[in-house]
Amino acid sequence: MDHQLLHIFRNTPMGRETLLQSIYFCKKVGASPVIYVPKSTKFLMYFENDVVQIDLDTSYLTSPDTAIAHATELVEQGALNVNFLEPKHYTASTLPDIPTTFDYMCCPRSVSDLASKIGLGYIGPRVRRIVRSARFPVLITSPVFKAWKSIAVFFGGSANAVNALRLGFHISRVSGMPLDVFTQVENRSPESYRQIVKDENLEQEMDRYVNDWHFFENRVFEENIFDVPHDALVVVGAFGHGVIRNFVFGSKMEKIQSTVSNSLLIAGPNYTATR
Amino acid sequence: MRVLKLWRYPANWAIFRLDDRLLLILMAIIVGNCSGLASVILNRSLLAMSEWLYHFRSHWWVFVLPAVGAALSSLFLEKVVKEGAGHGVPEVIYSVSRYGGLLRFRSSFSRLISSCLTIGSGGSAGPEAPVVISGAAIGSNIAKYFSLNDRQRVTLVGCGAAGAISSIFNAPIAGMVFAIEVIVGEWKSVNIVPIAIAAVAGTEISRILQGNQIPFSHHLFKFDLLNVFACIGLAVLSAAASILLTRTLRSMHTLSHKLSGPLWLRAAIGGCAVGIIGLFLPVVLGEGYQTVEALIGGRYSQGLAFVALASFAKIAATALTLGWGGSGGIFAPCLVIGSLVGVTYHHFLSLLWSSALWANEGYYALLGMAGLISGMLQAPLTGIFLIIEITGGYEVILPLIVVSAVTTTLCHYIEPASYYLKDLVEHGHLLRPGTDARVLSDLNVPELIERDCIIVKQNMLLRDFVHIVQKSHRNYFPVEDDKTGNFLGIIHWDDIRPYLFNPVMYDAVFLGQIMNTHVEVVHPDDDLLEVLRKMDIKGLFSMPVVMNNRFVGLISKATILDRYRKELMVQTSH
Amino acid sequence: MKLTINEVAQCLRLPVTTVDRWIRQGRIPIQKSSNGYIVNESALEKWAAMYRLPFSLPKKVNTQTQAVRLENLLPAMNRGGVIYGIKGDDVETVLRGAVEKMRLPLGTSKEKLYQCLLEREHLTSTGIGKGVAIPHPHDPLPDTFEKPVITTGFLEKPIDFYAIDDRLVFVMFILLSPSIKFHLHLLSRLSFCVRDNAFVEFLKTCPDSSAYFSKIADFEKQLDRADNS
Repeated sequence: MDHQLLHIFRNTPMGRETLLQSIYFCKKVGASPVIYVPKSTKFLMYFENDVVQIDLDTSYLTSPDTAIAHATELVEQGALNVNFLEPKHYTASTLPDIPTTFDYMCCPRSVSDLASKIGLGYIGPRVRRIVRSARFPVLITSPVFKAWKSIAVFFGGSANAVNALRLGFHISRVSGMPLDVFTQVENRSPESYRQIVKDENLEQEMDRYVNDWHFFENRVFEENIFDVPHDALVVVGAFGHGVIRNFVFGSKMEKIQSTVSNSLLIAGPNYTATR
Repeated sequence: MRVLKLWRYPANWAIFRLDDRLLLILMAIIVGNCSGLASVILNRSLLAMSEWLYHFRSHWWVFVLPAVGAALSSLFLEKVVKEGAGHGVPEVIYSVSRYGGLLRFRSSFSRLISSCLTIGSGGSAGPEAPVVISGAAIGSNIAKYFSLNDRQRVTLVGCGAAGAISSIFNAPIAGMVFAIEVIVGEWKSVNIVPIAIAAVAGTEISRILQGNQIPFSHHLFKFDLLNVFACIGLAVLSAAASILLTRTLRSMHTLSHKLSGPLWLRAAIGGCAVGIIGLFLPVVLGEGYQTVEALIGGRYSQGLAFVALASFAKIAATALTLGWGGSGGIFAPCLVIGSLVGVTYHHFLSLLWSSALWANEGYYALLGMAGLISGMLQAPLTGIFLIIEITGGYEVILPLIVVSAVTTTLCHYIEPASYYLKDLVEHGHLLRPGTDARVLSDLNVPELIERDCIIVKQNMLLRDFVHIVQKSHRNYFPVEDDKTGNFLGIIHWDDIRPYLFNPVMYDAVFLGQIMNTHVEVVHPDDDLLEVLRKMDIKGLFSMPVVMNNRFVGLISKATILDRYRKELMVQTSH
Repeated sequence: MKLTINEVAQCLRLPVTTVDRWIRQGRIPIQKSSNGYIVNESALEKWAAMYRLPFSLPKKVNTQTQAVRLENLLPAMNRGGVIYGIKGDDVETVLRGAVEKMRLPLGTSKEKLYQCLLEREHLTSTGIGKGVAIPHPHDPLPDTFEKPVITTGFLEKPIDFYAIDDRLVFVMFILLSPSIKFHLHLLSRLSFCVRDNAFVEFLKTCPDSSAYFSKIADFEKQLDRADNS
């Protein structure tokens, strides 16, 4: 119950949709939202082995007087407690440090560029940095709030995908939502994927939480993706080990984020499923 | 792919796993070279800038140049790289204190460009602080690339700073001492060795590229005991000058912040003012190394009044440049002001007692520099070694030590924290390793929570509670609301003691009636320092940790002591 | 054997978050790699010794705490047995008579036990009221008894035991235990039984041992229920 979700509030109608998405997520997984209403466009996040400066676009600072009231109203409508984050420390006088000890964070697809750029297939560079360095999974919301009724995990067999699977189990357990697993079969048999799950001692959970395990035998991934329910929360691992992959997510992840408009919950390479 | 992966984690190689000293030395060479290179680049581009702008000097509108430079540098920092103004050294120390030396990649070049614009166009500032932050950021990012841990990263940040200072002054010992005394703040062999190596690497790269020359060479000074005593007067004077500089800088800073308007405009106003001063007194412009050279060489032939005026003008110009948003450091202006103050003092002495055998003015200029550096940075060792190395004047070591020591002490009386550390100390961000503040900031509340408390309900009868007390080994019992599960209050063993031997009360009293509702609670995100202060004020030994109205656990002084001690042991002994 | 980070935390008796932070800060010789932690046990032990931190493998700790489980009344009473018709008019003779009749482990000096009981009786009477006495030695006898023993002795006729309520004592529970902990545990349970007036009345009838033991078993159940609620 003591899980927390960090939300950076953008005081625009679009930011409202994002916040609604966060609130829905919090209610489902039993987390409490912690809202940061930015006072300047810049802030820093110190992660374990990286520091990320986030330069928000100016729409985040729209009418600061009403921001708190708007956010409070929305959260209270969702019957949750409102917590606002006051940065305690500053690197230089204008750069607040935002703590990174949260359990989830909610981001729109981009925080540093103008909202007009946001569309499928585009995830801003700052959001990518956050996903890459964070120990928490990042919730990337769809542009318009939509309640999700099930969970879809993409499982490609890598270590990161196993983490995503664990995350999916966790979300399914706390929210009580049905879980489906999707696997694009690539040059190996479906059995080998089952073996991976077995090696990770996840078979029991697999039986308990998973509704169905879909194997896509069709070669074209994009065609298969249509089978993912439109009202599902997509849980996926962002691959990030190795040299090149530090700059681009895994190819599957890129394809998913450019074809589905569902909300995505991304487990980065530093995500640890220990909790 | 595997090889590349292995390459990214050198700390995991079997040879480095148990002792990383060798690894750190190897890394220090890389970092030292890179940061040395950065400072050579800045040095060269400053030279190029001043050559390029030289033939504009004759025009009447030349005073606008510093304004344009300062405005451009401010715009660059704010809009292009989106960094705050300021010289950046506090940022490095802050990050070393709190976040294991994590610095942004952009810091490794941003200040180089902005300070180049400010100084090259004539603003009164130094290139050293920008070089230090660049070097430190280079070290930090190299450590990040190789996934080193915090301790190793801090050492590499120190290495970067050492390499930068050593390279720009051709002064390896000064670089090393500066990095340890100001940046890292921990004299341990694990730090000193790599930092020394980095200083060597930084110096070497600058010697290869620019030749081995002592920046401010001078003739041998002849001086006797009288002059050594006279230094004390100089020390007092340079202490006064450092205090004046610190105060003017700060008042300029607050003044410029009162002005509404974009940052670049403020910087432009400051630059313009500097340009106007520079019209009459060209000494104040730029980093002023030529002036220092002339002063030490005794080739500066102006009279007492003029030199004194020049000192004040330089202080004003530096404050105008840095306080109004220009980018640059305090090192070079300190050297210029110091040497001007020294020469002023020499002229004053000769006027006062012309028959005495005074050493020549270069001697006092040199001591004045040491005085100002030690006074501003409150780092006496850095002052001493820097001046010895950049002037090659080992024979003046005795008066140098006297001046440095006296100035540092005097400045410390009036300004307890140095220019670099003032803001950090004010906000409690100066956390040197092994200090109380550091231990408390490293430990955090979630690590200390004890979760083995038995939670009781508000509507429980005392009789049931007595049974629970029998089984518990804690003295505190948090009370929750039956329905919502919200934290209501806490019952201490002492609260029920009076009723414990009176069985009549057992069925008559509910826990909701006995509990303490006005309890000081802790939030998991609270600073431990704050928590301990609360405990001290109220004389508490335990406090409940509450988040979102839910009871999470108990935090107690006994556990804090245990963890505090372990933390201290791990941080200090080596 | 490869330790996980959780086990390392247990060895050091610290929370996992602290160990995790130490790894990040480079204070502990554990490296983090792309797929987990690299732990070298001997290096870790050396490190802990250097910093004088407690470090012990968790297994040893576990076995110690599990073993100590306090025994209840019934087994102790079974071991001690029930004695009927103890003769005598005063405390000394009654105690001597009881000790003579007791089943004791081989090599136990009955004389010594008697002296111990008597010595305790001289301090204050062990007659706790309602005609019940619980004679016991002042110090536990760890050399003689491995497990606690309670012998129930019914007197031939009630005698004056100098009890706190001056009532004549008709039954004794001789309580012999290897440690103070056992002693207090059994004493507390015994006094719980005696507090019940119906039980005292029942004792006055000099019941046979099987009826007596089943009554005690009922009490035990009640006590256990209270403990676990």
